[in-house]
Amino acid sequence: MAHIKVTRRSMRPEEYTDLRFGWLKRYIYEDKTEITTFTIREARQTSEMKFEFYDSEPRNLNKGDMYFSPDGTAFIEAYATVPEKYKGKEIRFCLKTAAEMIVKINGKYAGGIDPNRENLIINPFIDSDELHIEITAYNRSKPDDERNPESLSVRGCRQIFEGGYFGVINETVQSLVYDLELLLDISKSECFNEDLRHHIDKELYAALDYIDFDDIRNEDVRLASEHIQKYIYSDNRYKGTGKVALVAHSHLDIAYYWRRIHTVQKNLRTVLIQMRLMDKYPDFRYAHTQAYTYETIEKFYPEVFEELKEKIRNGQFEPVGAMYVEPDCNVPSAESLIRQCLYGQTYYREKFGITVDSCWLPDVFGNSWILPQILRKSGVKYFVSNKMSTWNDTNRFPHNNFIWKGIDGSEIYACVPPTHFISWNMPSQVQENWDAFQDKESDTETLQMFGYGDGGSGVTEEMIELMHRFEKISAMPETRHITAHEFLENNFSDNKELAVWDGELYLEMHRGTFTTKSDIKRYNRMLEYKLRNAEIVSVAKLFAGEYYPAETIKKNYKKLLINQFHDILPGSHITPVYRDAIDDYREIEADLDKIVNEDTGYFFNSLNFKRESITFIEDEHGDITRLGKKGFYTIPNIPALKSEEIKQNYPDDNWISINKTIETPFYSIKFNDDGSFAYLYDKKLCRNWIKGNFNKLHLYYDYPGTYDAWDILPDYANKEEKINIDSPVTLTYKNGETAEFTTILSTKKSKWQMIIRIFRRSRAIEVENIVDWNEKHRLAKVEFAPDILSRELTCDTSAGFIKREMHKNTSWQQARFEVCHHKWFDISETDAGIAVINNSKYGVGIGDDSVTLSLLRATIRPDPTSDIGHHEFTYMILPHTGDAVHAKINNIAFEYNIPLIKQNINIDMDFGELYLQGLKLAEDEKYIIIRLSEQNGKRGILKDIGSFAVMDMTERIEFFADEYTYKPFEIITLGIDIGNFGRFIKFTN
Amino acid sequence: MENYINNIIRPKIQGDGGEITFTSQDGDIVSVIMQGECSKCTILDRCINWIECRIEEDLGQKVRINAIRKKPFFWDT
Repeated sequence: MAHIKVTRRSMRPEEYTDLRFGWLKRYIYEDKTEITTFTIREARQTSEMKFEFYDSEPRNLNKGDMYFSPDGTAFIEAYATVPEKYKGKEIRFCLKTAAEMIVKINGKYAGGIDPNRENLIINPFIDSDELHIEITAYNRSKPDDERNPESLSVRGCRQIFEGGYFGVINETVQSLVYDLELLLDISKSECFNEDLRHHIDKELYAALDYIDFDDIRNEDVRLASEHIQKYIYSDNRYKGTGKVALVAHSHLDIAYYWRRIHTVQKNLRTVLIQMRLMDKYPDFRYAHTQAYTYETIEKFYPEVFEELKEKIRNGQFEPVGAMYVEPDCNVPSAESLIRQCLYGQTYYREKFGITVDSCWLPDVFGNSWILPQILRKSGVKYFVSNKMSTWNDTNRFPHNNFIWKGIDGSEIYACVPPTHFISWNMPSQVQENWDAFQDKESDTETLQMFGYGDGGSGVTEEMIELMHRFEKISAMPETRHITAHEFLENNFSDNKELAVWDGELYLEMHRGTFTTKSDIKRYNRMLEYKLRNAEIVSVAKLFAGEYYPAETIKKNYKKLLINQFHDILPGSHITPVYRDAIDDYREIEADLDKIVNEDTGYFFNSLNFKRESITFIEDEHGDITRLGKKGFYTIPNIPALKSEEIKQNYPDDNWISINKTIETPFYSIKFNDDGSFAYLYDKKLCRNWIKGNFNKLHLYYDYPGTYDAWDILPDYANKEEKINIDSPVTLTYKNGETAEFTTILSTKKSKWQMIIRIFRRSRAIEVENIVDWNEKHRLAKVEFAPDILSRELTCDTSAGFIKREMHKNTSWQQARFEVCHHKWFDISETDAGIAVINNSKYGVGIGDDSVTLSLLRATIRPDPTSDIGHHEFTYMILPHTGDAVHAKINNIAFEYNIPLIKQNINIDMDFGELYLQGLKLAEDEKYIIIRLSEQNGKRGILKDIGSFAVMDMTERIEFFADEYTYKPFEIITLGIDIGNFGRFIKFTN
Repeated sequence: MENYINNIIRPKIQGDGGEITFTSQDGDIVSVIMQGECSKCTILDRCINWIECRIEEDLGQKVRINAIRKKPFFWDT
């Protein structure tokens, strides 16, 4: 006998409850009156406050009309009279839209409307019978809409105007709707007890029976509410456990699926909405990050800024996040991260009189090990970052509330909340957070952030109303709505139960962001060091009687910092964001070039150690072209912080012979046709360095799925594109210093020229790559499989090195198949090894016996044109004796990245083995700031530079001293009185 | 037409995370490829209509746009 499945087709009780809930929502408005006088001017935003209008005159905008266009902003206005019948009531302006709208009433900023809220209270702004409504409306097809399913159906560039209204809300119905939102969420969530859910279903069904949906009456709605109060809220038989802190915030990407210029209005809208919620709900507290966003309010909307300052003073509006923006925390250098804190904290102190003690980075793609020290020395006690808990693809990060120990041993209180940083404060999300919380035994609360985000928006009335009902649900964890500071201070300070995590906070996802958009990474690296050089030159010129261009440097530094935002620098953004970044970089470069280089025959070595490495000197008369510039190679031998002339020498070119092997003073070499090495015999160390592929180019198939720009999957190496050898490697040039071997490779779509340079006086081997890249879903990597027995890969972090295991013993090592490094990585045995030094690459793949340097990607989301075009970049292979520290690889990498400057400056300061990371005029212009960084893991004493102030990284004096004992990997900020610094400097024009 | 679509229309489409590429014109039929967010937009027809109107207004040509969606593999379900 066949089995017949019994399927229920009749409506279940829960379905009838849902149906009636939908009906009830139709009666939220007691009354609405359409405003029929709207006009519109469509435009496109061209800068922060400038718009290119499509229409010379406004046109009428009626219900049912089409409005908005791709990348469009609309200016909508109406003159309307508030209906007499609404007087004495709470009146709302209502407009359902997929767009983001800033609303002014009679010239005052009344609030915002967007896909997450469709009305705002206008009573405080009614100062005459006739109202002038002005709306700046910005339409986005933004991905965060997906978090609000109702808005998905109206997503798109062209919208239908659904009309604008004055409305009055039926508070009785609205209150019951909130009750139902809350309770239906519990009844549908598997996080809660099944019996409780059944109980709620039963009582909601009964409650709604009081209402005749053909004739909804307030007294019936009240009876339904009373039923819920009596049979659900007053029933405390179901006991919840746990303690959850509810902190309101809004994640605001400075650029992502929108440009930076649009964020000015996104931020304003968000701030206005939250301030209006504070007016309605005095207990509401809201945390807002990124000093830059406050700066834009101050600059473009000063009247709102004054109100904002008042809300900060009264404690409702809470600045969090000490940094200028929420930067990527893999790729920026230590000095950039310090400047994020310096400019962030300086702004908070100047404008609000506060030092922000938290670092708020909910969305960043992993966090460098150098951060704890930087944060602790920037006035920050607490670090908050979500992604390791919710996005790791392999291992569950073991802590939520813990202590994070940095590369130098600095410790900071850290919170990696268990769940997503964007939530809408539903009971199931609160319960899920507690269930996922891993530090229950630490006697701390777990942090639940709530508020819509990515493009701002934040908290809604609904979230607050639900939150006010949480205490009525005995089955929920105990909740407190508090500020971020209260949560951090209450749960972390002096808590001895917290576990310690010692290491980087590696995110097991988004590994492609070390490589995507290579031009952005190249500019970022180059400009980080150009800013360093500009400040050093400016300090020198200051003591030659010239003006220190503090504003120019600060303006450009901030521009660089904005572009380090975690969806700009990592490359996860749309095409116009890329263009904006490149435009910014070019402007920064042009400004800095005016400061850095002069027309002199002298070259200044801004490094505080002698330059002894092979160096390319730009010279229009040079006979080598490197990265598009003419010049020559030499070993400058310029002492630390001194200037000298450099001339091209023309020694004999018989230092190299080419027969079966290429013979140089250092090596015997055999190339394969594709530019990889078949043999690299070290004549001094008597060893062949090569075991497998070495300098071997691969183009792997790279299909990571929907997180295209972000991710590289662990199996990327399974399949690769065939690379054709159009021209096998051959000697193309030689002189007395250098020999160039060139190969031309290609695929069906791309051309790849590889120039390999070997040198008479250096063990270095430089590889230049000139690429016309037209791939899609390909990952270019160069592989190095040296004959070295090592289980560790040493990687530069920009402020010291980190050692990562190369084996795959556990899932933790397996997950770290692609990691971020800075200027170099190194594989060494005790007495020798190989370093690979780069000047613009960050991604490193760790294989079983080999390492790959990631060169280029070709992703199509969010930017279908990502990385397509011409690329030129170099890297340097450096076999050496000893390990990386003994071989001074870090210094050589600085030489490779920081060019000589055409200036005649001499500075007489000796900082020993510490790296001069920065030399600048203090923000208060009273001191010269010297930033020194210990990068080799050694202790020592700094002395013989006179007396100095030891400062934190935000330039606050901690104490005065004549010498300073430093620890491994410590970054030190010193201030020397400006009156005493001139003796160190000699500047000659 | 190709210049107009590439230089006037395309930057606006890219501003919303979309992409448009001119492929051909055959009489009054202009064929374009729509990528990025456009490839999965449920109301793309409205946008296409807007492009047709802009072309008529700016170039004085009445054309019909033949929009071919090129969805990335990860959205092609």
